[in-house]
Amino acid sequence: MKASGRFDREWRTGWAFAAPGLALLAVVMGFPLGYSVLMAMSSLTLLKPSLLPFVGFDNFAVIFGDRLFWGAVLLTIRYSAVTVIGEFLVGLAIALMLKRAVRTRPLYFGLLTIPMAMSPISVALVWKMLLQPNLGIVNHLLETAGLPRVDWLGSADLALSTMVFVDIWQQTSFVVLLLAAGLAALPKEPYEAAEVDGATALQQFFYITLPMLRPVAGIAIIIQLINEFRTYDLPYVLTRGGPGTSTEVLSYFAYRKAFLGLSLNQGAAAAFFLLLIILLLTVVFFIRLEKADAVTPH
Amino acid sequence: MTSSAWTRTTALSLLAATALTASATAGKAADITLRALMEDVPETRIIEALLPEFTAKTGIKVEFEKIGYPDMHDKLVTQLVSAESAYNLLEVDFLWAGEFPAANWLVDLKPMAEASKFDTAPFVPSMLDLLGRTAEKMPLVPMYNYSMGLIYRTDLISDEKLKTAYKQETGKELALPQTLEDYVAVSKFMKAKAGVEGSAMQGQRGDPNAMEFSNYLFSAGGHYLGNDRSVVLDSPEARKALDLYIDNIKNGAQQGALSATLDDTLRLMCSGKAFSMVTYWWMLPQINDAKACPEAADKVALSVMPGGHGESGGWGWGIPANVPEDQQKAAWTFIQWVQSKEISVKRALQGHAPVRTDVFSDPEVLAKYPFYKTAEQVVASGQSFPIFTYSAEYENLLGTQISTAASGGTSTDEAIKASAAGLKELMSR
Repeated sequence: MKASGRFDREWRTGWAFAAPGLALLAVVMGFPLGYSVLMAMSSLTLLKPSLLPFVGFDNFAVIFGDRLFWGAVLLTIRYSAVTVIGEFLVGLAIALMLKRAVRTRPLYFGLLTIPMAMSPISVALVWKMLLQPNLGIVNHLLETAGLPRVDWLGSADLALSTMVFVDIWQQTSFVVLLLAAGLAALPKEPYEAAEVDGATALQQFFYITLPMLRPVAGIAIIIQLINEFRTYDLPYVLTRGGPGTSTEVLSYFAYRKAFLGLSLNQGAAAAFFLLLIILLLTVVFFIRLEKADAVTPH
Repeated sequence: MTSSAWTRTTALSLLAATALTASATAGKAADITLRALMEDVPETRIIEALLPEFTAKTGIKVEFEKIGYPDMHDKLVTQLVSAESAYNLLEVDFLWAGEFPAANWLVDLKPMAEASKFDTAPFVPSMLDLLGRTAEKMPLVPMYNYSMGLIYRTDLISDEKLKTAYKQETGKELALPQTLEDYVAVSKFMKAKAGVEGSAMQGQRGDPNAMEFSNYLFSAGGHYLGNDRSVVLDSPEARKALDLYIDNIKNGAQQGALSATLDDTLRLMCSGKAFSMVTYWWMLPQINDAKACPEAADKVALSVMPGGHGESGGWGWGIPANVPEDQQKAAWTFIQWVQSKEISVKRALQGHAPVRTDVFSDPEVLAKYPFYKTAEQVVASGQSFPIFTYSAEYENLLGTQISTAASGGTSTDEAIKASAAGLKELMSR
């Protein structure tokens, strides 16, 4: 009875402390989310700004019937996967190098935060100028080195890869910082034991560093995956989804539906679908991470 | 109080009240700041330089926020759907002249024009029509036109060595092209033999390539809509236009043409590295500016699009419905001033693209810019992109098809069929 009373009190106190934060979350997150669901199921357009009549899942049916929508979905998955893998590999390599550069590390960290501190729009504009095929510095350097000029953004075969490169250039810093922090926090004892056992550096990396770094790496990957799925600024500035539809990612598709097609409802439906993919990925990823944690010896 | 004292007091009170009201009104005018989102082009800068004159005359301040065209539509729409727009004066592209009035975002300017006896007779009629004028309504007042023509290098077209080489290669004289086929042939020849790009092309998906392709379409004799506004795009002329457009992108244009915009083409032409560009006629004075473009200045001329017809377009002034009435009145004061004959001539002397016939024929303007005669022909021969509620969406749809076809993702036939079907669907929405 006594224990139960204390539990009730603690329960009430807990809720009392959490209530302001939850209320704030409900306003700043719950309301926009709820409203976007309403929009996606309404007849709201820029020409007829009214949620009524509700049309249920009609807007989803319209976008699901659009060939370009599925093209954008597949492209987004491909783009996100390649970019995140690239960011992780480059980020890990840099983080490992920085682990050894003890004295110069602050300088490198300072330099690395520059791309991260820039807004994606600025990054895209800078790279658009650098990669300009006729007057840009990159092609000028290639020509000076006796190499042919490259059509970085005007070729349907190359535009997506160029966008991936620009994205990796900007986002890798964040991965480096996370992984470097993770590496710095690793205990020394397993390495000392491995040295005694005669393990090579490669063996230490694969059997000690990587498994112990997994939680931090997982967090870095999931954060970046969410970021990449939402990518909008780069295609907007660099290519407008072209040439053809070769760089039309899902968020650009949603923008196009909402602001060029004036159909806020269909744009909201596409955006909501994007949100569902991200949610699903996040849940699956965390479940796998939990399972991996459960079997990994610490 | 005697009756005369009462009369004096009343008269004085009325006088004081009138003075107070007048000063309050004057204070209000002085307090009003007109804010407009403007495309960052020479025309905007020309008007901006004259703004102090307007403020000195009326007390109304005017601020221009200048950005690139691709971002304008979204920024305007988000303001126009809000409770009160931050912009109380609008620069509206003709491509939105169907959408904005249909959404009830604009004030009808006709009653204002009638009340203030604003004379629309001197305006080029096609410009008023392009911007949605009907017998009942006038949503926009023409601001400037951007009909498109061909700007080309005179030094290259008259180069003796190139003339001989062209004659040997094609059996034809190298001269200003008269047909679309000739133009693309000359463009490819220049790229191959003259050490320059044959054509500076703006092939980025969306507005840039949709506008550029429209010139090819009209030049080849094709149309989007028939006289009864039925869709007639699916035609042999449209296929020919797209084939030639793709041919020029691949073999006559600069590398990266499929991602290039107007700014890219201007820079290329300005650097002297291109023979021609299909563009807005008022780009000519920009390229002819020896300070800005020393490599190309005095070597360029303007002509009507080969084939006789180019794309016709224009911007108009509008007033948003979601701003207070005093701001709407101030905006109308500005529109009357900026489009008056006096200010239009001042603007034209700085390179403005007129929308008034009396400015095109003004002796002072013609003395400074003799090519305005050709410009008038460009404007007169221009044909219009389909203007309806979903013009902006159609630009994107058409641009996607053109871009996909040009990058080998679909055939000309499929691209034209899809563009025609898309136009039909959007017009019936």
